[in-house]
Amino acid sequence: MELTRSAPSGSASSVAVETVAERGYRGIPIGLERGSGSRKLLARMIRVMFPHDGLSDAPYIRAAEAVLALACEKPGRQVAFAAAIQDLMNEGFEAMDDDAALAHLRKMSAADFFTQVQGKALLAFYDDPEVWEHLGYEGPSFDKGGYVNRGFDDLDWLPDPRIDEYDGGEQ
Amino acid sequence: MKRIALDEPAVVIIGSGAGGGTLAHELTRQGIECVVLEAGPYLKNEDYENDEWKAFNQMAWLDPRTTSGSWRIARDFPSLPAWLVKAVGGTTTHWSGATPRFKEHEFKALSTYGHVEGANLLDWPLTLAEMEPFYERAEMAMGSTHRQGRPALPANNNYKVFANGAERIGYKRYATGPYATNAAPYDGRPASIQDGFNFQGDKSGAKWSIMVREIPRALETGLLDLRPDSHVVRITHDASGKADAVIYADKDGNLHRQSARIVCVAGNSIETPRLLLLSDSARFPNGLANGSDQVGRNYMRHLTGSVYARFDKPVRMYRGETMAGLIADESRHDPSRGFVGGFYMETISLGPAFLAAFVEPGAWGPDFARIMSSYANTAGMWIVGEDMPQADNRITLSTTVRDHLDLPVANVHFDDHDNDVAMREYGYGKAAELYDAVGAIGHHRTPPYPSTHNLGTCRMSDRPEDGVCDRNGRAHEVANLFISDGSQMTTGAAANPTLTIVALAMRQADHLAGELKRGNL
Ligand SMILES: Cc1cc2nc3c(=O)[nH]c(=O)nc-3n(C[C@H](O)[C@H](O)[C@H](O)COP(=O)(O)OP(=O)(O)OC[C@H]3O[C@@H](n4cnc5c(N)ncnc54)[C@H](O)[C@@H]3O)c2cc1C
Repeated sequence: MELTRSAPSGSASSVAVETVAERGYRGIPIGLERGSGSRKLLARMIRVMFPHDGLSDAPYIRAAEAVLALACEKPGRQVAFAAAIQDLMNEGFEAMDDDAALAHLRKMSAADFFTQVQGKALLAFYDDPEVWEHLGYEGPSFDKGGYVNRGFDDLDWLPDPRIDEYDGGEQ
Repeated sequence: MKRIALDEPAVVIIGSGAGGGTLAHELTRQGIECVVLEAGPYLKNEDYENDEWKAFNQMAWLDPRTTSGSWRIARDFPSLPAWLVKAVGGTTTHWSGATPRFKEHEFKALSTYGHVEGANLLDWPLTLAEMEPFYERAEMAMGSTHRQGRPALPANNNYKVFANGAERIGYKRYATGPYATNAAPYDGRPASIQDGFNFQGDKSGAKWSIMVREIPRALETGLLDLRPDSHVVRITHDASGKADAVIYADKDGNLHRQSARIVCVAGNSIETPRLLLLSDSARFPNGLANGSDQVGRNYMRHLTGSVYARFDKPVRMYRGETMAGLIADESRHDPSRGFVGGFYMETISLGPAFLAAFVEPGAWGPDFARIMSSYANTAGMWIVGEDMPQADNRITLSTTVRDHLDLPVANVHFDDHDNDVAMREYGYGKAAELYDAVGAIGHHRTPPYPSTHNLGTCRMSDRPEDGVCDRNGRAHEVANLFISDGSQMTTGAAANPTLTIVALAMRQADHLAGELKRGNL
């Protein structure tokens, strides 16, 4: 399900992986194909959007691939993305420090290109198991027997509360 | 499985969710054959996914819808106004499990709250006393904890924070339920393994759903003809104005006509009015059973909002039963708080994928990343309260977008009422106070998600001009047409709706069975 303005499709990361693996970035070279530097630039843009210290570049690159796959779904979008990425390259976006890069993104945050990148990257990035692990989320649990014997109630910095209903009568 | 001929005038139920599935089960148990037409596929526990987006994409209703109005959903999720499921079992496959009953005064909203400017309040044509035996039966069927002697679920991490905070700010009415997931084995199903996937199809079978209980039992009677992948597109009527058939499209888009002697519509509060509006005719130019112009109006979605609080110690809210934590202290009617009606507070947890999408739609940057970075130390609660029915909050047919069958999709129009806004603000404040009392170092006020509680739109009323159906769910204008899902609700109350939808369907089944035996239908 797309949550941004584009049409519904599969889960963000699964679509991205499939598209990149099967089709490559389609069409004539306009700057979105592998080796063009677009992926690196987008990965940097996504790190500025979703900064998490201590996280490797890999999930940012995967999110960039998801964005590129989205870009290449439609020729018009492909051209628009290529132009917007070229602008960022010309403006030296990759060489900017964190504060300057953040300020630069804020300036362009109303642009269609920006909202599409933000929407797609958000879905892909936070759906990435490496990011889950970094945030402390353990993913699927049924196969491991759930958490019933693996800490569903291991919080120990507060007393154990009552679980039954209050028996002091109606309000 | 039972096969009912297409030309046999059958009892036809449209939709296999909380309302439709319960009705099918109750009727077949009483010896009455039915056809259930369900737009979605028949998926079982082993098919379900332990992954937020995979589960959503597998089962959610993804056919397009459109939105309008001042609610934030129209801006953030313009094609996803509601989170509903298209599969056998309906939205009870993705539901969580909270099962509070409605309160006596909530069946008398107009008399209790008085006239509220801009609201279209009405008293139900039913009382709590009449509903009590059905509530009892529904709780037994769903296995609600804390009821009829069933044990409470244990406290999970999120609940520990929630309940301690509640106690410290003086709340008393907190508990881990009532919640329709087994704390101990019950009704042939196992106890919870606390896997944390409660807004997804449950793989273990501990969670009650129509798919896991009512459908297999109705099939066992040999009287249910269940047709998945069957999307109803029109209800037709004879010259006397009685419903006589249902037209549906199968998976491949081929149309079929099932003759009907009784039609029960249970497609949920968006699809039910859409189908009636699509079933217009010379006799019913504004849609079937819509002489009152009430079909689609008074759409309610509950006042909701969430608060996610950060701590300097681990919480791990995602472990365990998501909504097995409920505070009822604010569920009373007390206008001194600045609004009519009440609300519940319930534990909630999302995985990082959903939290990122919903915690503050459209947000990015360092402040947003900080919310996500605190994931393991975050506790969450949901505020769910009564919202005001408004005539212009309504489902209409889209004039611009059509679905895969070339039928106009539903447009969902919603404006918050001032009472909704006041209650939400008050609730946010109380939630923050609760978490501060147990040492929160920050919190975020999350706006309503795409609606999970979809109510009203074909409401019950004593007078035909005020609503669509009577106290038994029978359409005022079409004697053999019944509304059997959450769209019947006259007002929404504060409680999560499914227990009441199930209880109403049980009551309707008894009524239908009686009328059939008496030869009145
Ligand atoms: C994440 C989540 C959590 C929830 N948690 C809770 C909770 O804790 N407590 C609670 O009380 N409620 C909860 N709910 C709400 C609950 O699931 C709904 O209130 C309930 O399922 C609604 O019942 P219904 O019969 O009105 O519709 P549904 O259960 O939605 O069933 C409608 C069915 O009709 C089918 N249908 C629609 N149109 C057609 C057509 N034209 N032809 C054929 N079939 C059609 C649909 O595919 C669907 O299967 C939750 C919901 C969600 C999404």
